[in-house]
Amino acid sequence: MARAPVEGPDELFHFAAAGTAPEPRERREARRAAEPIEKLLITGIAGGQGRLIARRMAGGCRIVGVDRAPWEGHPAYVNMHVLDIRKRKFEDVFRTERPDAVVHLAFVRHFRGDPELRHEVNVLGTKRVLEYAIAHGVRRMVVVSSGYVYGALPDNPYYVNEEFPLNVSRTYPEVRDLAEVDTLATAFLWRHPDVATAILRPVNTLGYYTHSAIGRYLSQRYVPTILGFNPMMQFVHEEDVAEAVALALEGGLHGVYNVAGPGAVPLKVAIRETGGNAMPIPEPVARAVFGQLFRFGLYHTPAGAMDFLKYPCTIDGRRFETATGFRPLYSLTETFQSVCPPLRP
Amino acid sequence: MSAAATVIETALGTAGAVRRTLTEVLPETIFDLEQQIDERMRRIPTRLNEYGYDAWGFHPDTARRAMLFTALFYRYWFRVETHGIQNIPPGRVLLISNHAGQVALDAAMIACACLLEAEPPRVIRGMGEYWLPTVPFVNELMVRTGSVVGTRKNCIDLLENEEAVIAFPEGVRGMNKLIRERYQLQEFGQGFMRLALETKTPIVPIAVVGSEEQAPAIWNARTIARLLGTPAFPITLTWPWLGPLGLIPLPVKYRVYFGEPMHFEGNPSDEDEVIGEKVMDVKGRIAAMLARGLASRRSLFW
Repeated sequence: MARAPVEGPDELFHFAAAGTAPEPRERREARRAAEPIEKLLITGIAGGQGRLIARRMAGGCRIVGVDRAPWEGHPAYVNMHVLDIRKRKFEDVFRTERPDAVVHLAFVRHFRGDPELRHEVNVLGTKRVLEYAIAHGVRRMVVVSSGYVYGALPDNPYYVNEEFPLNVSRTYPEVRDLAEVDTLATAFLWRHPDVATAILRPVNTLGYYTHSAIGRYLSQRYVPTILGFNPMMQFVHEEDVAEAVALALEGGLHGVYNVAGPGAVPLKVAIRETGGNAMPIPEPVARAVFGQLFRFGLYHTPAGAMDFLKYPCTIDGRRFETATGFRPLYSLTETFQSVCPPLRP
Repeated sequence: MSAAATVIETALGTAGAVRRTLTEVLPETIFDLEQQIDERMRRIPTRLNEYGYDAWGFHPDTARRAMLFTALFYRYWFRVETHGIQNIPPGRVLLISNHAGQVALDAAMIACACLLEAEPPRVIRGMGEYWLPTVPFVNELMVRTGSVVGTRKNCIDLLENEEAVIAFPEGVRGMNKLIRERYQLQEFGQGFMRLALETKTPIVPIAVVGSEEQAPAIWNARTIARLLGTPAFPITLTWPWLGPLGLIPLPVKYRVYFGEPMHFEGNPSDEDEVIGEKVMDVKGRIAAMLARGLASRRSLFW
């Protein structure tokens, strides 16, 4: 099983200056970048983001996919295993396939099911992925968390960096599991300096394949907003997120990284640009109505999400850009166009 | 009958005159001012994205409308006189000023001066109170006109982006002081100096003469303030007696003095005493400029 945890070298604490570690982070990352990836395991591969990452990494390495849902007509280069990461058989994939890199994407982000299920898949699932990775000699790891973990609070600075506390559960307890996943992965990151682990926190992701809460929200014809609030929001195209994951893998990155997109606009501009009409509702009314609708399963998002429509949760992506040279390929306009009206139900 | 007719005629005549003023004279003034603001707004060095917003939500299209209102106050109510505006260096700068007058009109007047008179025109980035983002509409107006919540990170990011940030180290201690304490600088906070040292930003000291008499407070009703949860509840000659009308400031004459930029060097995490000395330098400069401004002033109103 997992080896005894070792103390992480000083340089792993990104809040401290580079310490006296024998091998500087840059050199270690350069060395890792030179090693090719043999076999990549993607958990949650049948989701939009998983498919895009598989496509992006195709050709460079062999790809193994795990998902609860089948991926109909998946490309031949993907060796697909349809199974639940909560099941025993999941470890067999590590045992038989012996991947040397893992991208962990298997999360439940919607609220349709039982909250227990969210916790089991997100928190316990992540824990198992990390344990198996150590037990079966994985060398690189990318966990795709999200920028939401910082939470939307009135006194948030614009452009929070990776040291900012994960405040999301303060006002939005329903997604505390996502903050927990991030924390688990961060702990793993510095307990195992020999596994190149990158935790990516991308901003609002939009695109054709990805079914994100924000994408669903923006693709409504009449989009409820909170009267008197119009926070700045950042957006990134799904292919740019896939690119970021690939860069983190190829570069053997080790650390926590915000992934910001091409820029920020006020919420109402985003609504307009994706072809919707903002429908401002006074906050007390919105909280009461949507809170009750959610309680009875008639609305998809809990009222806690409303703070993201009031306050900014904007992140500083400079660390990742410096480390990888990442520049978003899609502009804001192109990103908005990817949530096109024909996709509407 | 004829008396009534005369009254009506006079009323109509007056109405006509008022209407003429409103439709002929005022629009000319407003139109001119609007054009001037637009022309200067186009030349600000702030970088905007394809939707016309900067990274902190500043939106010149919204700001110019708010600025028009401010500029009317600037030109015709306070008839602001600025001195030494050329002292604002290009690039990052921290503007440090005295703070008074119950309502932060001094900040608005400084911002207006920097837009209308500085070369190149600058947008002044305010550091807002932490509760402002929770107020509907106000939060948006604040951000669109260039201000942000006054966190350390925001301030550093703005300065590193070569913006002009304004800070009032006296805070509410200065703004809500009583009329008998006018032009007595209150205790200065030290945060601005640490930020200036950290980001190697020059400081331009500013003295505002006039603001301290715009709303003479005779008493601060602390109990009411506590009940309302506001930092202060000043009782002035007009507020709260005249209701909302009582908020209108006296048409005092404003004089704004921009001092030469001050450059400081040192460790931003030095002890309070070391930082305090540098803060006193700035405070001293502002006090001296205030004294000079007051000495050369002949009247409160012109």
